[in-house]
Amino acid sequence: MEYEASKLFFAGIDIGSTMSKAVVVDDQGTMRGYVVGQTGAEHRRRANRVMEDVLIKSSITLDEVAYIISTGYGRVNVPFADRQVTELTCHAKGVASIFPEVRTAIDIGGQDAKVLKIKNGRLTDFLTNDKCAAGTGRFLEVAAETLGLGLNEMGQISLQSDTPVKINSLCTIFAQQEIISRLSEGQPLPDILAGVYIAVTTRVVKLARQLKVEPPVVFTGGVAKNAGMVKAMEIVLGMPVLIPEEPLITGALGAAILARDEAFKLVQAGHYKMEKKQLSEAYIEFTEKDR
Amino acid sequence: MSGYFLGIDIGAAASKAVVIDGQKKIMGAAVIPSGTNYATTAAAVKAEALKQAGLQLADITSSAATGIGGRNAGAKSYHGVIICDARGVNLTFPSARTIIDIGGQGSQVITMNGEGRVINFNVSEICATGSARLLQVVARILQIGIDEIGPLSLRSAKPSSFSTSCTVFLETEVITRISQGDKPEDILAGIHHSIADKISGMSRGVTLEKDFAIIGGGALDIGLVQAIEEKLAVKALVPENPRLMAALGAAAVARGHHAGK
Repeated sequence: MEYEASKLFFAGIDIGSTMSKAVVVDDQGTMRGYVVGQTGAEHRRRANRVMEDVLIKSSITLDEVAYIISTGYGRVNVPFADRQVTELTCHAKGVASIFPEVRTAIDIGGQDAKVLKIKNGRLTDFLTNDKCAAGTGRFLEVAAETLGLGLNEMGQISLQSDTPVKINSLCTIFAQQEIISRLSEGQPLPDILAGVYIAVTTRVVKLARQLKVEPPVVFTGGVAKNAGMVKAMEIVLGMPVLIPEEPLITGALGAAILARDEAFKLVQAGHYKMEKKQLSEAYIEFTEKDR
Repeated sequence: MSGYFLGIDIGAAASKAVVIDGQKKIMGAAVIPSGTNYATTAAAVKAEALKQAGLQLADITSSAATGIGGRNAGAKSYHGVIICDARGVNLTFPSARTIIDIGGQGSQVITMNGEGRVINFNVSEICATGSARLLQVVARILQIGIDEIGPLSLRSAKPSSFSTSCTVFLETEVITRISQGDKPEDILAGIHHSIADKISGMSRGVTLEKDFAIIGGGALDIGLVQAIEEKLAVKALVPENPRLMAALGAAAVARGHHAGK
């Protein structure tokens, strides 16, 4: 990809409970680079790190970034962000930028899950769960730990099953026990794993059904990278789901696109003329092209 | 009335059996872990209760079972745990009108009349935080015995506060609190508040009347009992062996059925 030297860029930083993501877009809103890393305990250090990394990935310098929006659970810990925006807004924006027709977005994160209703690219309704580990990535982590398997490995093995075992417990703590008893009963591992995915999905779909699930459905979050999870989601929903190429970064992408929109709005309102001359120039160039 | 009556309660964590005589006097009782084979567990807990009563199986006039595994207990009839809780508590505390049962897998709030007939109830979903299970998880992290939780928590002057109510997330938060220097007693007191909040949330929609009885495995924890009393601003009655109430109720139901014949 070739970059024009005079271009300005906009960044979105999403500090999630488990993963941190950063995305850079250009003045057309086209993605120029992204990175994903573990959040860890020190949010600030992580925010600096993903920002540095995304600049390298995008082959640009910080000076070329005109506006930065932070989002996610750790969004307050991004000292260099110009603004903080909630993950729901950013997520809706990001998903709709990839799939403009989207009506329902289901996002399962490391410690939460959210369901968004979107119409014409705008967020119309939402529900979230961050109270209970069941129905989040955490449930899968606990299952993986219990079975001594990797998360990806678990997904692959589950695909061999056509007859998932029923996991009755909605509570992660009790489900863990149930997984162990199913194993000791001699149930095949693929069937148990397929049952685990069905259990997580059922919990999230229960949330989604409260808002009415309308197609097309977009499935995002780290969990959407798992083949077993995607299969379970389609079974439980009874319809196919769309998955972005990189399902982890929709929030950061939305933040970056919002950063661009926001910066242009500020220029339009007469701010930023002096201190960010380049931005004004980029904006003028952009609006002229638009006419 | 003459004869002996047996009640069996196969719960998620513990199984209990109670033998009463025709005058509803407790002759013997037993509590053992439930394990995975409910039929074997039922036979074992029944045998232990009979031994305590100094009776043989042949001496039992009738029997009834309750609890999650009660259908495999080999009793003459099966009854829901709500009804058995109410009967058992009514026998123990005739003045009780509200029961809070904190079990191994969830909890329930029951209201009843003076005859021990159920008026209303709310059953929690299966959730470790609304049950005694959370206490086990925290005791394991703090490396203390279950019995030490209550007394230790009473020493707390400044209960820790927790931002989540899910046991899985609480595990992480407890470890964070330890690393921040919170004392074990403060952590336990904070956990008691979390459970009390969960239980008080469950009692919404049910008109709670005096007297209150707290039963189930959770009632063995004096710290938890006090946290619930504080939360609901009531004084609670706690049976000497709070885990036996449903089994006692089942025995009373068995006796009642026999009398009705």
